[in-house]
Amino acid sequence: MDLRDSYRNATRAILAARMRSFLTMLGIVIGISAVILLLAVGEGSKRDILAQIQGSGSGNLFLTPGAQSSILSGPRATRDTGAKITMDDLKAIETKVTLPIVVSPANTIGIAVKSGTVTMAGSGVFATQTYFEVNNLQIASGRQLMASDVNNRTRNVVIGANVNTTLFPGGSALGKLIRIKGMSFRVVGIAASKGQSFMGNADNSVILPLTVGEKSFGMPHDTITMTTIKSVNPDDSALVARQITDVLTRLHHKTDFSVLDQKSLTTLFSSAMDIFTTLLAAIGALSLLVGGIGIMNIMLVSVTERTREIGIRKALGARERDILTQFLIESSLLSGIGGVLGVLLSVLSSNLIIKRFLPTAVTTSSVILAVGFSIAVGVFFGVYPARKAARLKPVEALRYE
Amino acid sequence: MSTNLIQLGDIRKVYTIGGVTIDALAGVSIGIDAQEFVAIMGPSGSGKSTLMHILGCLDSPTTGTYVLKGRDVSGLKSDELASIRNRDMGFVFQAYNLLAQMSALENVMLPLSYANRTVNVGKRRAQELLERVGLKDRMKNRPVELSGGEQQRVAIARSLMMDPSILLADEPTGNLNSIGARQILEILKELHGEGKTIIYVTHDESIGNQAERVIRLKDGLVDAAKDN
Repeated sequence: MDLRDSYRNATRAILAARMRSFLTMLGIVIGISAVILLLAVGEGSKRDILAQIQGSGSGNLFLTPGAQSSILSGPRATRDTGAKITMDDLKAIETKVTLPIVVSPANTIGIAVKSGTVTMAGSGVFATQTYFEVNNLQIASGRQLMASDVNNRTRNVVIGANVNTTLFPGGSALGKLIRIKGMSFRVVGIAASKGQSFMGNADNSVILPLTVGEKSFGMPHDTITMTTIKSVNPDDSALVARQITDVLTRLHHKTDFSVLDQKSLTTLFSSAMDIFTTLLAAIGALSLLVGGIGIMNIMLVSVTERTREIGIRKALGARERDILTQFLIESSLLSGIGGVLGVLLSVLSSNLIIKRFLPTAVTTSSVILAVGFSIAVGVFFGVYPARKAARLKPVEALRYE
Repeated sequence: MSTNLIQLGDIRKVYTIGGVTIDALAGVSIGIDAQEFVAIMGPSGSGKSTLMHILGCLDSPTTGTYVLKGRDVSGLKSDELASIRNRDMGFVFQAYNLLAQMSALENVMLPLSYANRTVNVGKRRAQELLERVGLKDRMKNRPVELSGGEQQRVAIARSLMMDPSILLADEPTGNLNSIGARQILEILKELHGEGKTIIYVTHDESIGNQAERVIRLKDGLVDAAKDN
């Protein structure tokens, strides 16, 4: 039987049971949409994070305690090993690194910020005057923190754009007092909006003098969890990283810290996000599997219903492989059409709906993968029913009522 | 004997149903020559349908030999039997066995789908066959739109599609009224006149007696006394 005949037969069989075919396809449509959308969300988040890393300044290095970067493993891991970075370490780095650098130590905690009756959750960043330059944070009104704020432990703070609009809707917080942990702080500057970055949302942050953290917030003594070091000449950053490593290893007598540059951070996050994406796709694949079982189920019903037809075809000379092909084409056509519909559905919903809540990116490779996979599902789950049909004895199939 | 078109030697067919074995055929030996017009008759349960299925290569005997055109086909694989059914046999069934979703013309052309592609016959031949059985104007109709007699004539046209030498008919008139039955029998006789070997099963004496030779079966054996 030639392929054109086979496709005409398969289409006819699919159309003969429209509702059933549609419901069977729906399983594949949902499965394929799930795979593509979850891959799209994974890919979108990855691109988002990588863009944030790229946006943080190409010459920046990130120094954290612990041999494994606490950026990924979290601060708990470093506390356990006892590894820490102190202000003396940073001073040593500033004096001994031969290339021009700017060092910005910072400790971050979650805080509640109040003004009058309004409270908002944000992050408190305990930093020094260099924080603004290194993180490329512009001041919209007022001023930055200065060395004197840090040295004198003043209760002056710079607040993010969201903190200002939340606590003082329609007005300016500049010069006003805000309350954190029952203490009053004076707003001396308001940062320009910067948006989400991989270090947190600067717009929801309150930047306090580093020294205030230890005195008033119970932060561990002389411990810096995250130091950003800017190489003034971005091309030198690899060399700067090596010098920092040398200086600290000599001081600590071991490598209980990590220095990441933008490139290794990108690699690190890329691979972490790839694992995340794979996991998401696997969850989507489960629903595709269920869709495939649906196809198998309906094909089994179809083979039983059409036993007599199979008998007639065999009486007229159909070989096992003719019957096998007929049913395989039918099941793969069902799943293939389902796959194409699934692609359309997922591209539409990704662009029209999900983009509003989550970063998504539907990639060509995910579409090709999904459609290929859907056809493979049809063939795989069609084989058993098709073989069952092909192996029917002609005389028994003809006798079937 | 060696020139017989069909030579059955001690054919047995044993079924086991629920632990009980039934000899549907208990040792049938017959020869049928080319261009014979044969009726197989017998009461129900005599094994005539089983014999028909074995003659048509739709079923294989449990033991015994079946030599068709000088070739032993009793031990052939299912695909080889399929190709014999396609090339050498034409089937006409009591229940017509047309495919409901296809037109008369498509039904007639169906055997072509399973033929060797070098066989260069086509739509033209299918149309001629339908014209021949008097269905020139019903080619596009589906089986449900045709009467029983018309459906059976489509089935005959289909059985002739690959120009087989043997035509096997299992109770071809069983579902038809006397007019329809007469038409079908006329066509079979005409085909016999053109040199086809016709073998049909019937339990109806008036139908069976129109054959040139009647093979009577009883309890899975040829009732020799009545083989005229």
